[in-house]
Amino acid sequence: MNDDDTLSPQDAEDLLAAEYALGLLDPDAWRRAQQRAEVDGAFAARVQAWEGRLAPLNDSFPEAPPPDLLPRIEAELFPAQPSRRTWFMGLGLGTLAAAALVLVLLLVIPTTPPAPPSLQAELVDETRGLTLFVDYAPQTEALVVSAADPAPDAGSVYELWVIDDTGQPRSLGLLGDAGTLLQAALQAGQTLAVSLEPEGGSPEPVPTGPVLATALLN
Amino acid sequence: MQDEISDLLRRLARQDRSALRDLYQHAAPKLTGLLIRMLGDRAEAEDALQDVFVKLWQRAATFDPDKGSGMSWICAIARNQALDRLRARSARRSTRTDELDESVHVADPGMSAEATVMLRAKMQDVIRCFDELPTERSQAVKAAYLQGLSYQELADHHSVPLNTMRTWLRRALISLRECLDR
Repeated sequence: MNDDDTLSPQDAEDLLAAEYALGLLDPDAWRRAQQRAEVDGAFAARVQAWEGRLAPLNDSFPEAPPPDLLPRIEAELFPAQPSRRTWFMGLGLGTLAAAALVLVLLLVIPTTPPAPPSLQAELVDETRGLTLFVDYAPQTEALVVSAADPAPDAGSVYELWVIDDTGQPRSLGLLGDAGTLLQAALQAGQTLAVSLEPEGGSPEPVPTGPVLATALLN
Repeated sequence: MQDEISDLLRRLARQDRSALRDLYQHAAPKLTGLLIRMLGDRAEAEDALQDVFVKLWQRAATFDPDKGSGMSWICAIARNQALDRLRARSARRSTRTDELDESVHVADPGMSAEATVMLRAKMQDVIRCFDELPTERSQAVKAAYLQGLSYQELADHHSVPLNTMRTWLRRALISLRECLDR
């Protein structure tokens, strides 16, 4: 007995979303639905609607004393950064003296006021081996993003976001495989994020796919 | 709607590390209970809890408060993490298909009175809609939700063929959707 044939395509989609959200599917089918939810915004929205419908059942989960995992979680999320060598380390005294002379010359020679320094961010997704270098020139509001290597999975695209002080993400644009130039008004200290979205970008005003990496613009 | 967890998630999205500690304080007891219930094993639940908090940090920017409460969102992430582990497991513990705990605890620390009232109203809707279903089907949907049981496990538990269970539950889900979206 199986009434699959009588289902409309929309109902079939919606039932698959429900079966995935509930966890009814066998391992292979569940895994396929999970991969789809990551790149297919319409399907992800159906899954989210089911999670919302069933959310009152969460009250049936009892509370239990939690272990203190914060140190382990923080160690995983915020590994101690190796201290970066500053640019003048490793230079000989003579070079330093020459640099000082150049500096003095620069100071005494009148020049046009310098452009505000550019801001950088480095978005790293270790799982994918993806590193995106972001360079932002406040004066021209030009945002340069390095080539996205490895390229996103077929049928999906990387999307860049800025998260403002209210925690609300705002799309900055989609990233091309060969480096991208975007225009945006950004400030130091804002958070950038890159997410994996269906082709054409997130259908929602927020990321619908997984956020692969976040970094501060500084 | 005032929702402390939503506020914490917005701070998480801004890379506020102190918000992670606050969120752990608020949400870890509930998530620990959820994971133990679904995974049936405290040690595995603790491993999963760490993965859940890493995910919450990484995905906080995708949380949209217009689409539901912060607590629903983090529970959905925790359930997904538990399902991921359950589906990766080949052999299942026999204790997983024990009797369903029907008790319902409506109260969340850190939730405003207004939010609790709204949650109660939603709870009433869900209870009413489940009551409209044949008993064994409503129990099967709840068992799937609370314990992550698959079609096959539910079919085994109720001693019915897999296709019968699938048909029952699909009909139940369509009825639930109609009732809850009313």
